[in-house]
Amino acid sequence: MGEQRVSNLERRYRLLLKVLPRWYRQDREEEMVGIFLADRTDELDLEHSWPGWGETGAVLGLAVRTHLAAGAALTNVPMKVAWRGEIVRALGMIGLLLGVFYAGASITSMVYAYQHPEIVGGLTWMRVFDVAPIVAFVALLAKKRTTAKLAALAAALPAVVTVGPHIGAWLLFQLPSLVTFVALCLGFHREAPTPPVRRLAWWGGGALLVGVLGGFALGAFVVPVAAVVLRVVAFVRGDFVLGRALSVFAVLELAPLAFLLAGGEVFGVALVLAVLLVISAVAPVRRVRTS
Amino acid sequence: MSEQTFLVLTALAEEPLHGYAIVQAVEQLSEGRTVLRVGTLYGVLDRLVADGFAERDREEVHQGRLRRYYKLTDSGVRALQAEVARLSANVRAASAVLRGRGVQAWANNA
Repeated sequence: MGEQRVSNLERRYRLLLKVLPRWYRQDREEEMVGIFLADRTDELDLEHSWPGWGETGAVLGLAVRTHLAAGAALTNVPMKVAWRGEIVRALGMIGLLLGVFYAGASITSMVYAYQHPEIVGGLTWMRVFDVAPIVAFVALLAKKRTTAKLAALAAALPAVVTVGPHIGAWLLFQLPSLVTFVALCLGFHREAPTPPVRRLAWWGGGALLVGVLGGFALGAFVVPVAAVVLRVVAFVRGDFVLGRALSVFAVLELAPLAFLLAGGEVFGVALVLAVLLVISAVAPVRRVRTS
Repeated sequence: MSEQTFLVLTALAEEPLHGYAIVQAVEQLSEGRTVLRVGTLYGVLDRLVADGFAERDREEVHQGRLRRYYKLTDSGVRALQAEVARLSANVRAASAVLRGRGVQAWANNA
């Protein structure tokens, strides 16, 4: 590029662009700076202005997408970055499947509460939020990403409003829905690939069925065992993304379950769960090399 | 397809353009209603390239700054055609409804 004095505005804009990943900046920084400064010729403006809020917001939005490998087709994105986006999306889907299972179990318990109000105290309107993961899951498969995120937020809402003095226990119990919501927001942006509908529909149906038929108690076994089985399948098939997503899932979303059970009368069960979860979390992943 | 994407596709349909020219063309096409920020422009371009609707063309250096041109692909032309057909059908339907109410389809704001 030619010799020219760098203005304060350019320096500030380049500073803002540092929120973008290095691989993206290497490819795009000069181009972006050129456009940003194209019609800025006033000396006072160049010396004293800052990038506006609108531009800052747009660059921050771009940063979120590029850190999760959106625009991968455009530039030579490092593979580890491309995988990061895939892993976040897989984590969101697995989290939603867990949510669908919980929703199924909740439907069973709601039916029981309706039939036996004298035992469990009847239904409250708050239970509506329990089925929100089903809405989120169906909406995501129908490519209604905003609806899916709003429904996932609704599923996480009771978590947000019920925060009490026992922050630690609250965090452990409510973490799954919050993690799922964040993973959906980060991973399923407009450029993200569409999830495989048919295969996931079967998984969703299965999760719902297990929840409805088995309830929370059976699910406490089925979910960790399914996680371990899938982890083995991912290893055998060399599915690095699924393996890593299950690792994160085990730590962030399933570990709270084992922790909660450990506090009750089923310490032995919790111990088995914990072992399964540790296996899910730390077992090796295998990567099938494509080149 | 978002309005921003539609406008960028339309701008590129005429000839390959560099980023700043796209921003200007979009502002003109939308009669000033849409002013693309740089971060937004690259989000749109990323999507178009990822979908195979646009691709990189040549590069130039203008007044010491890099200018990279983008052009529409055949697939991009078809996507724009399909969107124009969809929007035209909507406009025809809305115009027919308005005519049925005895109102002209285009309000005269001048």
